Amino acid sequence: MSRKYRQWVKDYQDQAWTVARYILKDAQEAEDATQEAFVKLWNNQNNIDPERIQSWLMKVTRNGCLDRLRRRRDNVEFDESYMTGDVSGPMQDVEANETRAWLKRAIAGLKEPYRSLVVLRDVNQHSYEEVAGMLELNLAQVKTYLHRARKQLRKQLAEVRP
Amino acid sequence: MNEYDEKWEDRINALLDGELSATDTELLKTAAEDDHDLARAIIEAYQLQQAMEAVRVERAPASLRKRLREIPRQHRSAPFFGLLQPRWVMAFAAIPLVVIAVSLMRPSTPSASEIAEARLELAIAFTYLEKAKVITGREIESSVGQTMADAVTDSVNRVIKSPSLTSKEKEA
Repeated sequence: MSRKYRQWVKDYQDQAWTVARYILKDAQEAEDATQEAFVKLWNNQNNIDPERIQSWLMKVTRNGCLDRLRRRRDNVEFDESYMTGDVSGPMQDVEANETRAWLKRAIAGLKEPYRSLVVLRDVNQHSYEEVAGMLELNLAQVKTYLHRARKQLRKQLAEVRP
Repeated sequence: MNEYDEKWEDRINALLDGELSATDTELLKTAAEDDHDLARAIIEAYQLQQAMEAVRVERAPASLRKRLREIPRQHRSAPFFGLLQPRWVMAFAAIPLVVIAVSLMRPSTPSASEIAEARLELAIAFTYLEKAKVITGREIESSVGQTMADAVTDSVNRVIKSPSLTSKEKEA
């Protein structure tokens, strides 16, 4: 049982962390939310279809993050250090790092469910079907919302890179 | 972009996802040659996709990895401790209350065993009464004679042979 759990941790901890990090924008809270999701996975491992562990975990992680967002009484300051990233290094890397940092910030600035859609599909590389299951949306909704999110990002990117 | 915006949006995304058929790809290319806005949208979409390549799943920090590894050890007794949750404590506390309530709500009709016990006690009482009758008869006989003794014992016998039924027996 523990071996199975260890494998799930190995396979999914980075994806769950990424989802939590983008939604919460706070490293400590994202760690707490990710841990919470894995505790639920541990406690419910016998009740979850083994084929759907990944979807279940991403959904639980996201829902936990959204609950935390709702509980926040005041807006937590944007974590610029995370979103800006490290821009030191060779000149050719600086632009790439800046673009990456900008894009992270732009994704984190999207509203739900657009932000989760972009993170799950474009960052975590889940299939449309998997994303639909995680967000409890139908396939057409996933595509429509994702297209809107991408269009928004595209326009923002065009503004900073004319 | 023009009024066909949404239609092109679907096709641009399908193109980037590698899901656009060869025919539709050609149609899109042809349309983009005559539509400057559409051509720019396709270029921007490609630029976004390239930028996205740099944004990948992030490695969870070491502190989180450690916390996740420790979960099985920390939650090994989860099923037992789960029973200590307030809802279960409340449920266990309610059990004796329910038992008492049910016993109080039971009807007062005596059970078969209670009736049998009462009959046994009654039989014992009659036995004692029979003995008392014999002793009393002898005493009367010795003091006032047989005639008077018969009169007394006959009346006692009548009472013993037709005793009043108890309320429990009537209910049974």
